[in-house]
Amino acid sequence: ICLRDRDCISATRLDIDGLPVLFPYDYVYPEQYAYMLELKRTLDAQGHCVLEMPSGTGKTVSLVSLIVAYMTVHPNKLEKLIYCSRTVQEINKVMEELKRLMEWLERANGHAPPLTGLALSARKNLCVHPEVSREEEGKKLDGQCYKLTASFVRERHQADPSTPVCLFYEEFDSLGRKAASPLPPGVYDLDDLKSYGKQKGWCPYFLARYMLQQANIVVYNYSYLLDPKVAELVSKEFSKKSVVVFDEAHNIDNVCVEAMSVNISRRTLEAAQTGIDTLGRRVREIGEEQLREEYRRLVENLKQARRNRETDVHMASPVLPDDVLQETMPGNIRRAEHFLSFLKRLTEYLKLRLSVQRVVAETPSYFLHHIQQTVCIERKPLRFCTERLQSLLHSLEFIELRDFSSLNLVANFATIVSTYTKGFSLIIEPFDERSSTNYNPVLHLSCNDSTIACKPIFTRFQSVVLTSGTLSPLDMYPKLLAFQPVTLQSFSITLAKPCVCPLVVSRGNDQVAITSRYESRADTAVTRNYGNLLADLSAIVPDGIACFFPSYEYMETTVSSWVEQGIMTRVQRNKLVFIETRDRGEISLALDNYFKACDTGRGAVLLGIARGKVSEGVDFVHQYGRAVIMFGIPYVYTQSRILKARLEYLRDQFQIRENDFLTFDAMRHAAQRYGRLDKRSKLPLWIQEHLKESLCSLTTEEAVQVCKKFLRDMAQPSTKEEQVGVSMLTEEQVETRERLRLSMDFS
Amino acid sequence: FLQFFCAMDEDEGKVYTWETEYERSWETLQEDAEGHLQTTAEEEAYKAKRRRLFDRPRNVQLGMMRHVFLVLDGSRAMADKDLRPDRLTCAARVIEKFLLEFFDHNPISQLGTIVTRNGRAEKLNELTGNPHVHTKALQSLTSSSGDPSLQNALEMAVRGLRHVPHHASKEVIVVLGSLTSCDPGNIFSTIDDLCQQSVRCSIIGLAAEVHLCKTICQRTNGTYNVILDETHFRDLLLQHCRPPPAKATIEASLIKMGFPQHVMNGPPAVCLCHLSDRSADYITSSGYFCPQCNSKYCELPVECKVCGLTLVLAPHLARSHHHLFPLTSYEETQLTDMIVCSGCQVQVERKAYKCPSCDSMFCIDCDLFIHETLHVCPGCASTVKHHH
Repeated sequence: ICLRDRDCISATRLDIDGLPVLFPYDYVYPEQYAYMLELKRTLDAQGHCVLEMPSGTGKTVSLVSLIVAYMTVHPNKLEKLIYCSRTVQEINKVMEELKRLMEWLERANGHAPPLTGLALSARKNLCVHPEVSREEEGKKLDGQCYKLTASFVRERHQADPSTPVCLFYEEFDSLGRKAASPLPPGVYDLDDLKSYGKQKGWCPYFLARYMLQQANIVVYNYSYLLDPKVAELVSKEFSKKSVVVFDEAHNIDNVCVEAMSVNISRRTLEAAQTGIDTLGRRVREIGEEQLREEYRRLVENLKQARRNRETDVHMASPVLPDDVLQETMPGNIRRAEHFLSFLKRLTEYLKLRLSVQRVVAETPSYFLHHIQQTVCIERKPLRFCTERLQSLLHSLEFIELRDFSSLNLVANFATIVSTYTKGFSLIIEPFDERSSTNYNPVLHLSCNDSTIACKPIFTRFQSVVLTSGTLSPLDMYPKLLAFQPVTLQSFSITLAKPCVCPLVVSRGNDQVAITSRYESRADTAVTRNYGNLLADLSAIVPDGIACFFPSYEYMETTVSSWVEQGIMTRVQRNKLVFIETRDRGEISLALDNYFKACDTGRGAVLLGIARGKVSEGVDFVHQYGRAVIMFGIPYVYTQSRILKARLEYLRDQFQIRENDFLTFDAMRHAAQRYGRLDKRSKLPLWIQEHLKESLCSLTTEEAVQVCKKFLRDMAQPSTKEEQVGVSMLTEEQVETRERLRLSMDFS
Repeated sequence: FLQFFCAMDEDEGKVYTWETEYERSWETLQEDAEGHLQTTAEEEAYKAKRRRLFDRPRNVQLGMMRHVFLVLDGSRAMADKDLRPDRLTCAARVIEKFLLEFFDHNPISQLGTIVTRNGRAEKLNELTGNPHVHTKALQSLTSSSGDPSLQNALEMAVRGLRHVPHHASKEVIVVLGSLTSCDPGNIFSTIDDLCQQSVRCSIIGLAAEVHLCKTICQRTNGTYNVILDETHFRDLLLQHCRPPPAKATIEASLIKMGFPQHVMNGPPAVCLCHLSDRSADYITSSGYFCPQCNSKYCELPVECKVCGLTLVLAPHLARSHHHLFPLTSYEETQLTDMIVCSGCQVQVERKAYKCPSCDSMFCIDCDLFIHETLHVCPGCASTVKHHH
């Protein structure tokens, strides 16, 4: 895709359905205008919406400028914008647009709008402590921070000043929290927060967390809202009059499901066992008194949580269901030593269950029944496991929380399995999913219902906006997430010249049909034709080519047969070849070098997996992805039992047919990387538009010719004059268009 | 019609239909609002030409004395047959035309040629003012192999341009068919070097836009273009005949030049240009004699091989005049009824081009011809006012 670049010298004033919006660029694209109209309608109706618009058309700036305008004009209808993004880079991009908007607003009105916008990210990106911030791994850094800032450490510090604490946190805690407005209005991205924190001597991370409640615009990661464990800490006190935006939302149902799923392997259980032993030793060390104190606090906390929920101050956490709060902690886990022996029994039971030779699939209710029969563990104490463990860990003053992550996982498992009887399934697989000789039993508690994690969000907040470049078919999302949308809309891209050229190659030069169908995968004629396609394209496409295979296995067999057939050497004559592996370190190294090869003009081919690490969250912009080749539709691995369980559930609960979901899922992955044939109606509009009849089912040679011509055309300089009026609108053009539309409606 | 014309004046343009590439000629046809059929490609070409002509900045100091290295890609990619008969031969042919034109427009400039292949750069010719030397060298290029190396080629060009006098403009023009560059080191340091030496690097791609080339051209203030076909290729390359604006830092300086007279009936002698040929055919009685050392040349402009004086004719210098004072551009006007073009007497409908000073109307072909070749408005030249 060639993005339209724009150098900008002024802002555009728009009238969106009666709302004055300042758009911080010279021109507005027609689709941005339409996008803002739909968004305005949603906000007016105080409902939810699903909006699809291609990447690179300025979704972010349209969203931000409309919502900011709405907040300024109707401050009592809308108080807060919560913008959820996936990566730090994306967060920074949003902040950049926001800053730009504020700058123009200030220039237009003479004063900056009294809004505070801030970004929140993990401690890793915000820490300014001279030693802690040097740590590179996020989890370790969190642990070190906890060592310096946990409440009992700080208490200890008061008694004994030699105990190290974080000065930035202390400073913020004593001064920052008391200040009337710790952060003056304005827009702060991560770097701004850091420099502000350094200047004041306050911890930027805790400052940002504290300010979240007051800020008008919050930009952070999905998990701060979707992952119930994190949301509980960070986002529970947000106002109802908020609009939540999920950017790049095409994967939101999977994020929801993953947030609620737990996988337990034998290694997890062993680590949990060690954790229990450590806890046991500590319990014996410390006195009776402290434990009793601990228990009292536990009860108090639960009471507090109940009160909060009654007054609807907090967002309901799905992990801590209402009735847990209503009930009291069951007696058999009240005392620390009892609880520990309870955990031990639970772990032993799970170990027993894991030693199976064949696949077991059961419902949570059967699991509960079985556990009671075997080791006499009832449902009720299981439900309190997470809470109980948290409070115990806190009162035993453990600093290295990482040692207990496995134990936490087990406790989470216990709570979830005993809380939900519907929407979950339990699967024990003795062998690795895809290599059936490797004995490595894993217990999956998989969530099949994406509504559980996101329901609180849809009920709590006034408006939720799902937006992405690829959300087709749009009506699938409301079904999957169980909400009633006000608008479902897909926008296309208007360009003075076509910048996307989707092609469907269905035959090789020898007229053999090429397909990635499972049955014909091993056919050498097919792999050879795929290889020829890649080799031919590598000779005519400049810079980077990203190729995606449906699965690792398929890629491995295909690549090795390419090596045998000598196709790899042909590709390597034109470009360097990088292959995605399952190793994270290797991937990032490969990606780095891939980017480098694209920058220096050497050219490179990246062979990746359509659902792999590479394809999610890496932007193949400009020279990094001049062409994208999909070898077949990336259907998910349908033999997976977890998937089967989810499909069954979707069919029973939401009347979504298995095939529909699979196609939908595959298409969203393909669409993420563009292009495909007979299911054309399920591709997003902006690809469909360019996928002409004549460009489907081409042979390799024809495809190469079309590509050559397209690339030549794309290289011709485009002038601004050609674009203005077609793909860029000035203020007057928007007005005339609007008048035209109104008169048409009228007539 | 334009393409037809070009095919006519190329003898080799004979290609059987089944030998041509798979093309979709119907896609370039478009119907406009009034139902006229016209090919968009043609329209585009005209538009681009006009834009190029009229985008020229006025009243700028131009670097008339140019030192240019022309880099030709000699890699495997040049064997591709999308230009006829293959890219290398076609490029050589286009470059030959360019060289003649170049020395015609820039009589006081020098040009050297470099070819890059097998990951190396070879210098075909040092900087000289004689187009024939280059033509001969280009004709000797027949085979293409390996990968090109932009870095090696650029470094060789920079080395060659390092000792060029300060007042001259330094340029590199690359004709690149390949999409990759096989470099031994970090090419970005070479780009820095180019910037430092204020060498302007322009690239003409024969296949598609390569990000690195774009970066190089942007950083060094050059232009980057990708060709559509042979005609477009020639257009793009010939654009480089026009001297680029001089850098603000270059100071004006005086250059010593000789204006030899043409002697018709002198003593028979071999001229210095053909001395090495040792053929009796070149013993002539007419020629140009250097005013400083009296050596004989049969063609100008040339740099005297004996004393190094630049030898030119007054018309050569006069020819560069239009670069400095270009003809004013014509205004595009929409027509309501048919008129007759004041240039070629052809009936024109819809669009015509009006000279702002004499109000004569021209068709687009005449407009381009006048601005590219004539450099004088026939309307203005024929009015009485002008003669006075």
